[in-house]
Amino acid sequence: MSITSQRRTGNAVSYVLLAILSVYTLFPFIWMVISSLKPREEIRARTPSFFIQSPTLDNFVRVFVEHNFLEYLRNSLIVSLAACALSLVISLLAGYVFSRNYRMRLVQGTNFGMLVSQMIPGVLLLVPLYITMRNLGLLDSYASLILAYTTFVIPLSTFMLSSAYDSIPMSLEEAAEIDGASRLKTLTHVVLPVMLPSIVSVGLYSFITAWNEFMFGYIFISTDSLRTITPALMLFKGANSVDWGGLMAGSVIAVLPVAIIFLFLQRYFISGLMSGAVKG
Amino acid sequence: MRVGADSRKTTNRRFVILALSPALLFLAVLIGYPLVTVLTDAFQDAHLVNPGVGGFVGLDNFHKVVSDPHFFPAVSNTLVWTIGSVIGEFVVGLSAALLLNRKMRGQGLFRVATFIPWLVPIVVAGMTWEWMLNPDFGIINSLLTSTGLVDSPINFLGDKEWAMSTVIFVNVWRSFPYYTISFLAAMQAIPDELFEAAALDGANAWRRFWSVTMPQLRSVSLIIVFIHLIWTAVNFDFIWVMTQGGPNYATMTLPILIYRYSLQQFDVGAASALSTIMFLGTSLIFVVYYRYRRRLSDEIVG
Repeated sequence: MSITSQRRTGNAVSYVLLAILSVYTLFPFIWMVISSLKPREEIRARTPSFFIQSPTLDNFVRVFVEHNFLEYLRNSLIVSLAACALSLVISLLAGYVFSRNYRMRLVQGTNFGMLVSQMIPGVLLLVPLYITMRNLGLLDSYASLILAYTTFVIPLSTFMLSSAYDSIPMSLEEAAEIDGASRLKTLTHVVLPVMLPSIVSVGLYSFITAWNEFMFGYIFISTDSLRTITPALMLFKGANSVDWGGLMAGSVIAVLPVAIIFLFLQRYFISGLMSGAVKG
Repeated sequence: MRVGADSRKTTNRRFVILALSPALLFLAVLIGYPLVTVLTDAFQDAHLVNPGVGGFVGLDNFHKVVSDPHFFPAVSNTLVWTIGSVIGEFVVGLSAALLLNRKMRGQGLFRVATFIPWLVPIVVAGMTWEWMLNPDFGIINSLLTSTGLVDSPINFLGDKEWAMSTVIFVNVWRSFPYYTISFLAAMQAIPDELFEAAALDGANAWRRFWSVTMPQLRSVSLIIVFIHLIWTAVNFDFIWVMTQGGPNYATMTLPILIYRYSLQQFDVGAASALSTIMFLGTSLIFVVYYRYRRRLSDEIVG
């Protein structure tokens, strides 16, 4: 067999395998959307079909009108955006000195602390964090979730941003310093504009992490009007001898914002993750 | 105006402290302090809602946790869940990366498709699969019975013979893309000359994979396997969403047990003791990782 024909069969086999892989990864989403558009009788059919006989938006109307999914959506947005913004400010500052002042003891100590904190998983801190939030009077508030999510994403955001700063030449700042700008001003006016792609990718990471978090949202929030969308889905399932159509409509709503952001910005996201992966 | 070297050093130092303080504050209050509380509460009598309960009780909490009839089954379930998931994720993640690394048209699209499960909330992943695996109306059982692969529908999450493998399967589906992305990044860093040299030496694709690709992936494999051992062992969401530890304790893992102690029985002491035991376990994984890492670096450098 010649090299080219060998290569061609190799490609054909690879395409078939990639198609199987894509079905494996995407089918649950397709099925989620199909189910969310099916009326009750078709959901409860013995042999479910891929084609919807009478497609309907009833499931969406039900979760939006009868169950407060619009409110859950709003709560998730508020919490995730706030955690994203707060963690970005904190990690942009910390990452900057990680990159520029690594010789200092304090910086190395913080770096070590952040590494160790990555080894301490949330579930181990479940009880004391709950008690801490209660003592601070923050239980059952947006603030409890915003603070917790911010903390969880700070270490990785700082590491990613610090490697982004590493790729920016010092000469840029030295020039600004000679012109008499303070360090903070140099940072905000000279360095940050160049870093925009990295900032977008780190921001996406924190937003999605906060949006997808379940356990703390489930435990910290007990007032329905403050609930975020992931625990809301879980409680929705428990409360209604499983309304699968509604549940799939709710899932579509929970995935949609992340999917939209991802499709628009996936280039940033994947390259950011890949650069983080190589460093690790 | 020229600033003296000394005062410049002080302003610099002040800037560093200022820049780090928000991060340090968050880590200290929301990770450091709670961690210390866990380690001390493990030796105290503590109740979640009744502040009257208190006092040093030595190892009582540990004794209570270890003599719980669910403890050792939960340890073994946690091991099965963790090791099963990580092996599955590694195999699927590596195979996907090898496919996606082939230079062909359309790979960008396939990469996006592969990556998507990792973006969904665990709750959504768990529930969608639960719906697909439903014994009465689920698409998977319908396909399995209509093609004659099985005689009667399988109650994947409700049957204790199936429940653990099912939650592992769903976890692999959600988590493998992270491996794929990391492997892809590492594969693209391997210089083409290595493959060309191996091909000239007459190595076929299979040999090139084992003697060129795999050695270059050792370092990244070590770190992702290590991270996922910890992430999986302590994961609460998947199992809570799909089975809550059931049926009949078949998927009861240590994180679910911690939740039951703390938020269902309000026994903070026992929950902290169990958390401490888990913390020791994850630290052990870290020590093992660290030693491997050093050996690997020695090999690569020396």
